[in-house]
Amino acid sequence: MIKKIDPRVKLLIVMCISSLGLAFTRMPMLLAVFLTGMLLSQVLKADLFMLIKRIRIILYLFAVLVIIQSIFVRSGDSLINIGSITILTTEGLSRGLAYLMRVLIILISGAIIATCDMRGLIQGLVQMKLPYDFAFMTSIGIKFLPLLMEELKDTLTAIQLRGIDIKSLPLKERTEIISYIFTPVFAGALTKAKKLSLSVECRGFRAFDKRTSILILKFSPVDYLAITLTFLLTATLIAANQYFI
Amino acid sequence: MNEFIRIEKLFCSLNKVQVLRNINISLNKSEFVSIIGPNGSGKTTLGKVVSGIIKQDSGDVFIDDKNIKDMSLPEIGRKIGYLFQNPDRQIFAPTVYEELSFAMKYKKTATDIIEKRVNEILNIFELSHLRDASTYSLSQGEKQRLALGAMLLNDPEYLILDEPTTGLDPKRKYELSKLLDSMVNRVGILLISHDKAFVLKHSHRIIELYDGSIINDKKN
Ligand SMILES: Nc1ncnc2c1ncn2[C@@H]1O[C@H](COP(=O)(O)OP(=O)(O)OP(=O)(O)O)[C@@H](O)[C@H]1O
Ligand SMILES: [Mg+2]
Repeated sequence: MIKKIDPRVKLLIVMCISSLGLAFTRMPMLLAVFLTGMLLSQVLKADLFMLIKRIRIILYLFAVLVIIQSIFVRSGDSLINIGSITILTTEGLSRGLAYLMRVLIILISGAIIATCDMRGLIQGLVQMKLPYDFAFMTSIGIKFLPLLMEELKDTLTAIQLRGIDIKSLPLKERTEIISYIFTPVFAGALTKAKKLSLSVECRGFRAFDKRTSILILKFSPVDYLAITLTFLLTATLIAANQYFI
Repeated sequence: MNEFIRIEKLFCSLNKVQVLRNINISLNKSEFVSIIGPNGSGKTTLGKVVSGIIKQDSGDVFIDDKNIKDMSLPEIGRKIGYLFQNPDRQIFAPTVYEELSFAMKYKKTATDIIEKRVNEILNIFELSHLRDASTYSLSQGEKQRLALGAMLLNDPEYLILDEPTTGLDPKRKYELSKLLDSMVNRVGILLISHDKAFVLKHSHRIIELYDGSIINDKKN
């Protein structure tokens, strides 16, 4: 039942929670959006655990960003001091946490989208009147992501196999090496894109203006119910943001 | 006992598919050993396990009597030079020169020595005219030679070469042949290849894999 929820509904849900996440600034409201997102992702059986496992490497980056955000905000009362130097202020802490919440909300959105099957998602986008080209590009992008991750890992391996112990290098050289890791991956992505576009042209992509499709999505009663609930929830959250806090 | 690599009761699976079954091999530095076998028989996987890129399910691999479980990738890399089947996978610097000088730069080798050794390799692999070329626009055979050259600059004690002859023209293949000949006895070599003539020409010993098991291990 839940599995059959229309991809368009999932897109709507994701659009709502992620825009709320970006629009709200106060911590309690962000927390509310986050919890709603968590709840929805559980109902839709999104695999949060898998997602976290996949983006483990990037999580460090997020953690660093949260800490930087917290430390560099100087306004507010001081919370942690070393001698006379203020390390963390109340404002800094709340900004850092707000940033963390937003990242988490985006991640949850990603996990919800990941429950759609690719074909359904493209069809959803097309039926929402998005040009097929864009829908196709989106799907290609999503498909290539794991491949890119794999290439990152390979390059990292290749560098280490040259006998370079990245962990023992000083910070400056370590950052230099990061650029070595990313350049081939981006260059490779560009080459791949060129080859792909050629092969897609060769098979007659866009030879005709109109495309027909075997798969046609139709809203079921459950979908209508889910849409209504999504709007209600969004409205409630907006109202709460306006009047209560 | 001059065995350099010892593989014991090695089992390995990728995505729950059993790829290597009960592999036992001893390799020493004075030997040129080839691994042959059909596509998908597990040759590449075996090479990757030995160089620490893939973790095995069970069994052990020892390099110089040290279990690779207790070694880091850089540690293994300093002893073993592994040539990827696809050279794109191991070339990461933007230019040929940077690719070759990369490891020495981070090992704090003196500039004049780096210069000298890179030039040596550029000559051996006939890449001098491409010294400042972008690595992305190299031809397949040029990439193959660059990857080999970069690996040799590391002074490995043992080479694992996964299909080093693919993409090489007859002349370059002959040059590679000569180069390997000149290294035999100093550096141990494990060659993975479908190139029958090349295998027969160089090997002291040929190991045949089929469906993840060794079905033949004989002197050549
Ligand atoms: N990441 C992976 N996940 C699942 N199976 C894999 C993976 N990588 C390789 N395999 C499978 O493992 C088997 C052995 O692969 P391997 O690359 O070692 O073969 P090979 O002997 O090197 O073949 P070739 O001669 O084509 O290079 C193949 O059946 C392959 O499909
Ligand atoms: Mg192979």
